[in-house]
Amino acid sequence: MSGATINVLYFARVADLTGKRHESWPLPAPIDAGSWLKELESRYPQLAPSDKLKLAINQCHAKRHETIRAGDEVAVFDPVTGG
Amino acid sequence: MVVVQHDDFDAAELTAQLRRRTQGKAGAIVTFTGYVRDYAEDTATDSLFLEHYPGMCERRIGELCEQARQRWPIADCLVAHRVGELRNTEQIVFVAVAGAHRGDAFRACEYLIDALKTSAPFWKRETLADGRQFWVRQQDRDARKAEQWHTATGNPDHHE
Repeated sequence: MSGATINVLYFARVADLTGKRHESWPLPAPIDAGSWLKELESRYPQLAPSDKLKLAINQCHAKRHETIRAGDEVAVFDPVTGG
Repeated sequence: MVVVQHDDFDAAELTAQLRRRTQGKAGAIVTFTGYVRDYAEDTATDSLFLEHYPGMCERRIGELCEQARQRWPIADCLVAHRVGELRNTEQIVFVAVAGAHRGDAFRACEYLIDALKTSAPFWKRETLADGRQFWVRQQDRDARKAEQWHTATGNPDHHE
C-alpha cells in the first residue's frame, strides 16, 4: 500500500496559492473528502478556510462525505465563474 | 454538442448547425450569447482570462444538456464556451436549444446557462486597465438562481 497515491489538480486561485498545478499525494487508505481537505489545509495553510473550496473526484463534483481512493484524480478549486 | 475552445465562434453558423440537425423536429430555436463585461466596479477591465478543467468541462456540460433533455421535451442543444485570454467585449459563451415549442426551448436554454455558470469548471481572471489582476468570485445571485431550478416547477423567476 506504500505506493498508493492520488493525482491532485489545482485550478485558478488555488493553483496560485499552492504554487503548483498538480502533484502526486500519498494515500495509504481511503479517506472522506472532508478529512482530506483538512490534510490539504495543513500542508497549505494559505488555503484556509477550506470550507469554501470545491472538490471534484474523477471529474465529478464531490461532496464532503464522498470517499477518495487510491488512483483517483482529485481537483481542488474555488466556486466556478464561467458563462 | 459541446465545444470548448479558445477560438471565437460564429453564433449564426452554430445556430444553422443545430437547425440542420433538428430539421423537421424543431419549431423553435432559442439562443443565448454571453460577452465579456466589466466585473470590477470602479476600474475599467482590460481583458479576461478563462481557465478551465479540460475533460471535466465537456463532461459536465454534456451532463447538463442530458438533464435538460430529460426535463423538457426538446430536440437537441448546443453549448460553446471559450477559454484563454479574451479581450473586453468579446463573446464568451453560446447556448442554443431546439424544441418543438418555444416555451420548453426558452426554459431549457435558461436552465443550461444558469447551471453552467455554477457547475461547469471555468474560472475568470480579470486584468484591469492599470494592470492589476484578480479572480472573479462567484455571485451569490447566480448560485441562488441555479439552485431554484431544483425546487421550482419551471422558471425560477416565479420565486423571486
